[in-house]
Amino acid sequence: MRSATQKFKTAARSWAGLLLAGGCITFAQAQQSITVAAYPAVDEIAKAAVAQWKKKYPTVEVKVVSRAFADHHTAMTTALSTSSNLPDVMVVEFGYVARFAEGGGLEDLGIAPYGIKAQQARFVPFAFRQATAASGAVVAVPADIGPGTLLYRTDILKKAGVSEAELAQSWDAYVAAGVKIKAATGAYLVAHARDVKDIVIRSDIKPGEGLYIDAKGRVLVDSPRFVRAFELAKKVRDGKLDGKINAWSNEWSEGFKRGTIATQMSGAWLAGHLNNWLAPDTKGLWRASQLPEKAWGSWGGSFYAIPKGAKNKALAWDFIQMMTLDPQMQLSAFKSQDAFPALVDVHNDAFFDQPIEFLGGQKARLLWREASRKINAVDVHKLDPIAEEIINTEMDKVLDQGKDVRTALADAKALLERRVKR
Amino acid sequence: MSSRPVFRLSPTSVPYVLLSPFVLLFLVFGVFPLCFSFYLAFQTWEPTAGLASMKFVGLDNFAFAITDEWFWKSLKNTAWLALASGVPQHLIAIPLAYFIHTSFKRTRNAVIGAYFLPYITSTVAIAMMFSTLFSTDYGLINLSLRSLSNLPVLGGLFPVDPIDWLNRAENVKPAVALVVFWRYVGFNTVLYLAALQTIPKDIYEAATMDGAGRWQQFWFITLPSLKPMIYFGVTLSVVGGLQLFEEPFILTGGRGGTDQAGMTTAMYMYRTAFEFNDFGAASALSWLLFVFVALLTWLTNRAFKPRGPSA
Amino acid sequence: MSALARQGDRLAPLAAYVLVAVGGLIMLAPFYFMFVFASHSRTEIFSLPPPLFFGDDFLLNVKLLTARIPFWRSLGWSLYVALASTALTLLFCSMGGYAFAMFEFRFKQVLFLLVMGTMLIPSFLGMIPTFMIMDAIGWIDQPRALYIPGAASAFGIFLMRQFISSSIPKDLVEAARMDGCSELGIYWRIVLPLLKPALGTLGLITFIASWNNFIGPLIVMRSPDMYTLPLALRSMQSPVNTEWGAVMAGSAIATLPLLVLFAISSRRLIDGLTAGAVK
Repeated sequence: MRSATQKFKTAARSWAGLLLAGGCITFAQAQQSITVAAYPAVDEIAKAAVAQWKKKYPTVEVKVVSRAFADHHTAMTTALSTSSNLPDVMVVEFGYVARFAEGGGLEDLGIAPYGIKAQQARFVPFAFRQATAASGAVVAVPADIGPGTLLYRTDILKKAGVSEAELAQSWDAYVAAGVKIKAATGAYLVAHARDVKDIVIRSDIKPGEGLYIDAKGRVLVDSPRFVRAFELAKKVRDGKLDGKINAWSNEWSEGFKRGTIATQMSGAWLAGHLNNWLAPDTKGLWRASQLPEKAWGSWGGSFYAIPKGAKNKALAWDFIQMMTLDPQMQLSAFKSQDAFPALVDVHNDAFFDQPIEFLGGQKARLLWREASRKINAVDVHKLDPIAEEIINTEMDKVLDQGKDVRTALADAKALLERRVKR
Repeated sequence: MSSRPVFRLSPTSVPYVLLSPFVLLFLVFGVFPLCFSFYLAFQTWEPTAGLASMKFVGLDNFAFAITDEWFWKSLKNTAWLALASGVPQHLIAIPLAYFIHTSFKRTRNAVIGAYFLPYITSTVAIAMMFSTLFSTDYGLINLSLRSLSNLPVLGGLFPVDPIDWLNRAENVKPAVALVVFWRYVGFNTVLYLAALQTIPKDIYEAATMDGAGRWQQFWFITLPSLKPMIYFGVTLSVVGGLQLFEEPFILTGGRGGTDQAGMTTAMYMYRTAFEFNDFGAASALSWLLFVFVALLTWLTNRAFKPRGPSA
Repeated sequence: MSALARQGDRLAPLAAYVLVAVGGLIMLAPFYFMFVFASHSRTEIFSLPPPLFFGDDFLLNVKLLTARIPFWRSLGWSLYVALASTALTLLFCSMGGYAFAMFEFRFKQVLFLLVMGTMLIPSFLGMIPTFMIMDAIGWIDQPRALYIPGAASAFGIFLMRQFISSSIPKDLVEAARMDGCSELGIYWRIVLPLLKPALGTLGLITFIASWNNFIGPLIVMRSPDMYTLPLALRSMQSPVNTEWGAVMAGSAIATLPLLVLFAISSRRLIDGLTAGAVK
C-alpha cells in the first residue's frame, strides 16, 4: 500500500517533469540562436550587425565566435572534417575559400533555396568567381575585398625627386626609383623584397591557371611570371632596397612611424590600419596609387558560407543576405572597418568621393573602385597555402643565401608536385 | 553488531579493484589510441568527406614521409635542438650542482629555487616572454649583447649588430635551444644535487688526507659516482628533446619559421594533421619519430648506462 | 701545495659564488621583466631603452586583455581542470600505489611493467588518435577530456608506492583486517590519512602540470570560450597586431599562482619530483 508521502512524491515528480518539459520547449523557442564563426575584424562587423538583425528577428540570438585568423581557419577545417562543432554562418577568408570549396563541406548557395547566382551581377566579378568551385557550385558569398594599392610617402619621394608616375610606370622603373630614394633619403623602397615577388606572380595569370597550380593539376611555379618575380626581388635585395622587415612585426610598424619604409603594396585597408594604430602621426604624408605596371591584385577579402552540417540554415541564409546584399550594412562595414564592399551597388555612394584625410585629402576610394573592377579572378587550389610556404622558403634562400633563381624554382616545383600527386 | 555490509572485498581481489581505474584508463586512453594510430598510418582519409571514407593504402604514407624533404628537415632540426639544448644543460648542471653542494649553505634553498623556477612555469607564458626578449631592435637579449660587446677585453666575443633571432633561419634554432636550456638546466641541477647528497663525506675526507686537490676529487670521486644520475638525466633529456613541441611552436608562431628551421618533427606532425589535414600521413610521421626516439634511447643506454657496481 | 694553488683554492669558492649568483639572476630575469612589461603599454615595451621598472599601465593592460579574450573564464577553466585533475589523480594513484605496495597478487609483475611502460610512450604518439577518439565520444570542448585520461599516471602511482612501502608498516594493515575493517575501509580510513605528505607532494605536482598543460587543451579545446589559460594566451599571438602589454599582463597573472605555490612549497616540490630519480 502506498503511503500518502509516496503518493505526494509521485505526483510532485510528474508535475515537475511536465513543467520542465514545457519550460524547455518555450525556452527553446524563445532562445533560438545562430552561431557565426569569424576572425578579427569581421567579428566586429558581424557584432555591429546584430542590432539590425534584432529588428527582424527579435527572439533569435546571434552568437559571434571569434578566433585569431589562423586559428579560425584551422578550427573550421577541423570542424568540417569531423562534421562537428560547425557554426551556422562561417566566415572564410579569400585564401581559404578554395580549400573549403574543394572539400565539399559547404552548401551550394547558387541553387535553390538560396539562389545567389541570380544576383551575381551585383557583386564585383572576380570576388564572385573566387567563391565558385570547379563544379560550378557557389560555396560562399563575397562580403568584402581588398583591392591592391601602392601606398607611398609623398614627402620622401619629393625629397628624392621621384614622381608618382615614375614609381608606378613599370617594375623596372619602380626599382630604379628605389635606388634614387635610397641614395637621397636612406629610406627603403619596400619592407621586404618578398613583397615585390608577391605582386608580380599575381600578374599576367592566364585563364585556367591558378596562382601556383592550374586546373589540370600542373605546377606552375617555374613559369615566366615566377622567374620575373624572383629576379625582381633579387634585384631589390641586391640593391639593398628592402629593410628585410616582415609585415606586421614591430619593426614594420616602427618603419612606418619613422619613415624608413617609403612604399608599401597591400590591400586598400592598410591605409585604415596605418591611420588607426600603425603610424597615425604620419597622417597626410601618404598617398595611394595603382600598383606598378598596372598590376591588379586583391589582398584578402572575406566570404560568408553555410556548412552542410549547420543546424539553422534558413536563418543563416537570412543573416548572410543581410551582410552581403544590404547596401547599408556594406557601407557601414566600409566606414567602420575599412571593409571594401563586394557589392557593386554601394560603389556609387557619395562616400567614395570623399577625400581621405590620412592620405592628404586624396579621393583614393575612386582609385580603388577602379582597381576592383579590373582585378581578375584567380582559380584557387586547396594546396595554395602549402605552395605559398614552399615558394616563400625558396624566395628566402634566393635572397639570403644567394641561391640561383632557376634552381630554386625547380626545387619548389619538385616539392609541390609530390604533394599534388597525393 | 551493526548490519553487515552486503558487499565485501576479499584481500585477494582488492588489489585488482584498486588498480582498475589505472587499467581502464590505460586501455581506453593509452592502448586504444596507440592501436588506432597504428591503423591510421596505413589509411588515407579525406577529412571533409567524413570518417567512412578511409581507404587502405598500405605503406603509402610511410613512403611519402620517408621521401619528404620536410620530414628529414624536421628530424635534423629536432636532433640539433635536442643536442644544442641538452648538452649545455648537463655540462652546466653538474658543476653548478657541485658548487651549490659545497659552497652554499644558508642561501642554498633560495639559489635552488631560482634555478628551478623556470621548470614549473607555463611554456606558453615563457615562450611569449622570450619572443619579446628576442625582438631584433628592442629586445633585451640583443641590447645586452650590444652592451657586452663594449666591454674592454671580452667585448670582441660579442656581436655588435643586432641579431634577427626569430626571422632568420640560422638564428631560430639557437633561440629555441636557449629557451629550452633556460627551462631545464635547473631541473637537471636539482637532480645532480640529489645525487651528490648520497655520496658519503668520508670518501672526500680520505682523499683530502691523501693529498688530493679539489679538482682531482671532483674528477675521480664525484663524476664517477654521478654516473647513474647522468644516465638518468641524459635519457630524460634525449627523450624530451626529441619530442620538443611547445617552445618552437610558440616562438615560431606555429609554423616553424623561415625555411621551417624551427619546425620539429612533433610540430610537423601536428601541422600535417591539423593544418594540412592529412591524418594518415601524420600518423605515419609519428611512428617514424617513435622509431627514431627508440633508436636514440637505445644508443644513450649503450653510452651511459653504468655497468656493474660504480668504481 | 704551492702558494698559487692555495690562493686558487681560496678564490675558487668566491668565483663560484659570483658565477652561481649571476646565473641565478639570469634565470630570474625573464620573470622580472614579464611583470615589468605587464605594467607597460606595447609601445613602451618596444622602445629604446626598454623599461626596467614598473610602469602604470597594468590595469589598462588587463582591460585590453579581457576585451580581447574571455580571460577570467579561461582562468576559471584552468582552475577547475587543475583541481579536478588533482583530486582524481590523488585518488587513483593512491589506490594504485597502495595495491602495489601492500599486496601480492597474481598479475602484479605484469601490471607493474605496464605502469612503467606507459612512462616510455612518447606523448606525441597519442596526439592525433586522442583527438579522433575524443571527437567520436563527444568530449571535444569538454573539460573532462583534460582531467580524466591522465588521472592514473604512472609517475603518481610510482610515487605513492614508494612512500607507502617506506612509511606504512604491513602489520598496521593486518591488524586493521583482523579487527574486521573492510578492505576499502582500510584504504580509506587508515592508509589514506597516513599518506598526507605524499598526497600533498603529488597534489602540487599534478596541479602545476595541469595548470601549465598546453598540448592537451590545444588538441581537445576548440572553442575560445572553453580555452584554458595557456591556449587563451596563445590566441592573443597573431601576426597582426599582438597586444603585447596585455599578453604580458595575462602571462603574469597566469604565472602568479605558481610562483606563490612554489614559494610556499619549493622544498617539497623538488623532493617529490626527484624522488624517483635517486634510487
